[in-house]
Amino acid sequence: MTDFEAIDALLAGARQEVPLPPVEERRALREGLNLSRTQVAQALSVSPSTVGGWESGRDPSGEVRAKYAYFLDGARTRLAAITGEEAAATETDAADATDGPEEADTVQPPGQDQDGQDDMEALALPQPCVLCGQPAAHQVAGFPQHLDPAACGTADSGRMTEPAETAETVAPQRPRHRPAQPGQEGAAGREDAARREGTAGRKSAVGRDGAAGRKGSVDRDGAAGRKGSVDRDGAAGRKSAAGGGLKVVPVGRRVREADTPDPVARAVADALAEHSGDVEAATAALVKRAIPDAMALLDASRKGGRYDVVAHPWLPEILRKQTARGADQIWEARPKWTRPELPAGRHEVTALDINGAYLSALKTHLPLGQLEHSTGDHHDRRRAGVHLITPPAWDHGAVLPNPIGNRDEPGPLWVTEPTLRLLLRLSGPKYGLCDPPVIHESWTSGATESLLEKFRTALKDARDRAIAEDDEVTLEYVKAMYSKFVSTMGESNYNRELYRTDWMHLIRSQAFTNLWWKAHRAYDQGLLVVRVMGTDELHVTGDWRAVFPEGRGVAEVKLKDTYAVGGEPDHPDGG
Amino acid sequence: MPERNKQFGLYGAQGIKGHQAVARQLDALAGYIATPVTARRGLLARLHYLTRSDHARARAHAAGLTVTDRTLRAWLAGKRSPSKANLERVERAYRTVRRENVARYLLARLNRQGHGTRVEIHPLNQSQVDRPRQRVVEFRTLNIRHWDRIVQAWVADDERGMDDAWVDQIVDLGSQWGQYEYVTNVGFAA
Repeated sequence: MTDFEAIDALLAGARQEVPLPPVEERRALREGLNLSRTQVAQALSVSPSTVGGWESGRDPSGEVRAKYAYFLDGARTRLAAITGEEAAATETDAADATDGPEEADTVQPPGQDQDGQDDMEALALPQPCVLCGQPAAHQVAGFPQHLDPAACGTADSGRMTEPAETAETVAPQRPRHRPAQPGQEGAAGREDAARREGTAGRKSAVGRDGAAGRKGSVDRDGAAGRKGSVDRDGAAGRKSAAGGGLKVVPVGRRVREADTPDPVARAVADALAEHSGDVEAATAALVKRAIPDAMALLDASRKGGRYDVVAHPWLPEILRKQTARGADQIWEARPKWTRPELPAGRHEVTALDINGAYLSALKTHLPLGQLEHSTGDHHDRRRAGVHLITPPAWDHGAVLPNPIGNRDEPGPLWVTEPTLRLLLRLSGPKYGLCDPPVIHESWTSGATESLLEKFRTALKDARDRAIAEDDEVTLEYVKAMYSKFVSTMGESNYNRELYRTDWMHLIRSQAFTNLWWKAHRAYDQGLLVVRVMGTDELHVTGDWRAVFPEGRGVAEVKLKDTYAVGGEPDHPDGG
Repeated sequence: MPERNKQFGLYGAQGIKGHQAVARQLDALAGYIATPVTARRGLLARLHYLTRSDHARARAHAAGLTVTDRTLRAWLAGKRSPSKANLERVERAYRTVRRENVARYLLARLNRQGHGTRVEIHPLNQSQVDRPRQRVVEFRTLNIRHWDRIVQAWVADDERGMDDAWVDQIVDLGSQWGQYEYVTNVGFAA
């Protein structure tokens, strides 16, 4: 008999898991209220990293799950209330949802919005009410509670609102019952406010405090707290509704407007303001400061990154200029190829321009630390650097450029990582276009492809935006930033903050490699590749629009020129 | 010295003293004439630099170029060419005067009105050391705010003073600073 009681008690105690909103929504809810993880963690008596875990896939269980669900629920209700308020753009009045924790103590008149509760269900076994602790026969959204406040021990706390649906449906209705004027703070206004609070923010009170202090706090809130908050909310609410929200950060004992996250847009705006809208002067000024700005952007983009940008590493002799104006020994494999002969007949050749070639090339495997020497024919995919190789013979010069460019001198040469990877890929089973290169020595270091990724993305976004808005100033500025960044990152006196000759070579080679792959793609899709030159120039014949999208984005190509070759239209005797 | 650097290189570690690397970088920033003094072009460039004004002549004289004006004129005109010893004197005088001239500006840029300059310290090269004897020595960075003594010692070509000044700064690396007495490179911009 006692056994059965124990089982009954166990069954009564076993609650079903409270449903939580999806993972991606949890963080948005917390951040929507400008709450830090630490704050939430303190309130829930867990560690901040635990909260972080919940926001990235883990699920809490047990009691803390109920608490967390309760927090998210409340956050959602409050967010919905705030957004609804902004949408309606009406006057807010006392005891608003943005008022702080006091409003949670207000009373919900019994049973006023029981319709629309689809989360409510009867419990087979009574469970302790989350409000008063007495056995309750119903649960709403997983929280057992009394539906009738009279039955609840506190007698003045209502049911739980359900999380999402009610919030969404109720919040926009709120302006309807908002007749309260600033001066008219009578019992009617208070009751109205209290009723609304019941739907909006009441839940934060549940389980936090019992019945005792609640009555008193209603009066306090209604009478005292309300008067002050009227004007404040009236002004603040309107402002945020108009401007779409002003981000602020705490500074000392005050708050300040948060920094614009886009340094490019800010620099452009400042320059334009300084030159009072003179586009040419502003562009010139911006181009002039492009290098220090790019370095500042690089520093900003590495904040919180895993790897530091090492600016002055020790470099092997091969990367040092042999004379003051000379070059070092690295072969960047710049393509300069013209098809030796075209088929007979007239050809319409299209000169295409690859947009932002160096910008795209910032995504390449860059060595992080000091370059280390190694010998032997072995390539480690996790490392990058420069390699002394004997290139394979290239038999496709009639249709495709040599991946190592047109080098006249035979024998081994120092190539960079992108070129070597291109050769290795082409010699692989998928393409089989050449023999694998022979690696003699290497100077490499552990590499990552994402070192400049944030930097590149920031510039690319600014560029895309500038194109969309037809903003030539930003476009020129961004172009100067990335091109000068690449060209001065070696031993340049124009940029002494970064002495990465190796990166400079690697990035350039990556641009050339990208161009080679474009040429290969054209060839693969049946176009005739006529010329491949420099960083970004590709001449083809045929229907290139079927192969490359046309436009100004980095993934698109720009039409530079069209010209005809052969076939002499004036003297059609040749064909 | 907190680390065992007395017999540096005994087990195959490679590197140079930190202050030598700093002097090297300061030299790189000072930007000397690239052509060597042994070439006529390089010699003329140095002599022009050293005889540009009376002040420059006086500095060159103080720096060890104690030949007469007549000799200098003959060198500049190409009637005579300096002996090997005198070539060396020209080179040394040139470097000294150049350092003196550059020091003021270099110092201002390095101190950056008290902001200081971030210095990268690249640890010694252990690639030739037996695996069991290799130690983890990390890449470190340090912000140095007071460059006065370092630059002063560099101008005076005072090895000892430079070493002291540099060590005074890198003790801020913490208890492991002795691991950075020898380095492969010290990098900073100015």
